Amino acid sequence: MTPVFANSLVNVDPGLFIWTAVVFFGFLLILGRFVWKPLLASLSERESSIRGSLEAAEQAMKNAEEIRKNNDAALREAEALALKLRREAVEEAERVRAERIEKAKSEADELLAKAKQTIETEKKRALDELRQEVADLAIQAAGKILHAELDAEKNRKLVDRFLQDLNRN
Amino acid sequence: MRRALRFFPILLMVLLAGPRPGVAADPNANPKRIDILYKISDHHYLDFKPIGKVELPRILRVDGAWVFYPSTTAALNSGDGWTDAWYLAHPDTVIYKADGTTIAPVSYDLVKADGSTAEFDFSITSHLAWFAFAGVLVLVLFGRLASKYDRSRKDGLVPRGTFMNIFESLVIFVRDDIAKANIGEEKYLKYTPYLLSAFFMILFMNLFGLAPWGVTSTSDIMVTAVLALFTFFITQKAGTKDYWMHVLAMPGVPKFMLVILTPVEILGLFTKPFALTVRLFANMASGKMLVYSILGMIFLFADMFGDWVGIGSAAIWIPFTLFIYAIKIFASFLQAYIFTMFSALFIGLAAADHSHDHEHGHAH
Repeated sequence: MTPVFANSLVNVDPGLFIWTAVVFFGFLLILGRFVWKPLLASLSERESSIRGSLEAAEQAMKNAEEIRKNNDAALREAEALALKLRREAVEEAERVRAERIEKAKSEADELLAKAKQTIETEKKRALDELRQEVADLAIQAAGKILHAELDAEKNRKLVDRFLQDLNRN
Repeated sequence: MRRALRFFPILLMVLLAGPRPGVAADPNANPKRIDILYKISDHHYLDFKPIGKVELPRILRVDGAWVFYPSTTAALNSGDGWTDAWYLAHPDTVIYKADGTTIAPVSYDLVKADGSTAEFDFSITSHLAWFAFAGVLVLVLFGRLASKYDRSRKDGLVPRGTFMNIFESLVIFVRDDIAKANIGEEKYLKYTPYLLSAFFMILFMNLFGLAPWGVTSTSDIMVTAVLALFTFFITQKAGTKDYWMHVLAMPGVPKFMLVILTPVEILGLFTKPFALTVRLFANMASGKMLVYSILGMIFLFADMFGDWVGIGSAAIWIPFTLFIYAIKIFASFLQAYIFTMFSALFIGLAAADHSHDHEHGHAH
């Protein structure tokens, strides 16, 4: 009996072998030329563009960092300047205030001294006046009492001497 | 006991993976008997059961001339003296097609009345057809992908959509993790197209077998042999002077050792593609057989214990098959990866320039 449905796992079929080789070769050529070449080119192009973008982004970030650093430095400088100006202003104000107080104080002292002097002078004058008045009154009184016998000229001299003695004491 | 013995031949068919003596039984006769080897072998038709069969063209060399028939049926009814080998074994039976006059092929083995076959059978078979389908699918899918990239060029080649992302990640995986990793920075781009073609065609062929009506072309050793042969030729073509020096006259080895080493190295050239051939073929064929064996249990049980036992037992076999399917999906990717990875490795070994590291001890 002829083997009709004889099938084995390992069929040696040269026809299939040659066909497969031809078809595979054809597909390799077609796929390589029209599919993989453009596809791989697109992929590598995209990768390089992504790499480029990443590098650009990194550069931009670096620049931004640089700018930020510069800004920071400027800000710190400005702050320091402001602080200095403020301190100076406060010091100035303090100085002016102290000066003013000093001045006011000295003025007040001066005024006080002047007033004291005036008072002293006035007191002296008043005392002098008072003494004069008292002397006059005493003379008038004594005159009235001793009108007749007492020589007015002689007595005045006496009283003046007395007053001078008082002043000396 | 007799019933149990009835399925013994089927078990044998599965277990004895070698050429069997002729089994002159019509595979259509008992639908409860599944000839697994017949299922996974190459056919002259595409089976779309139960819709029908699409017969493939027959190209034969007879008496030094090429003969072409659009189908096996056409060859049988051409009047050129062709008959089906099955009719030769069963001369008193003739099976007609639906129209009642056209002789239908049974075994699809074309023989002359005296039992002689064509000098050379160059017919297009189902494995070849599905091989070509895989190629066309790669062409269509990745052609679309490539043109999509072309169109997206103006917005900076931004990938869009699931389709683009899935296949792009696979392409990049093959390029970076298979080609670049094994061949090296300088030369990998030259071999990436071949590796991509091989990877995706093998992957699609492996996956086709899981689809209804699909055929796993990679479960045919002829197909895997062709694939490995391409890797072999590309490897030898990529071979540098250093590579051939290492094969033919290993440097740094005593002269008399070369008597042993050189034949071993030359043998090694051929064992590599042989290993590629057998690994892919055996993995895919065994997976397919496993699926048929487990699903076949339904029919086996139906044959042994009655239809309803068979149908009831499907509750066990179908989850089992699904489990095998899951493994097969994984194995499809794995085997495509392994074939491509080893191809890249062999090419990488051949293409490597040792000039910059001459002190590597020649350990291999």
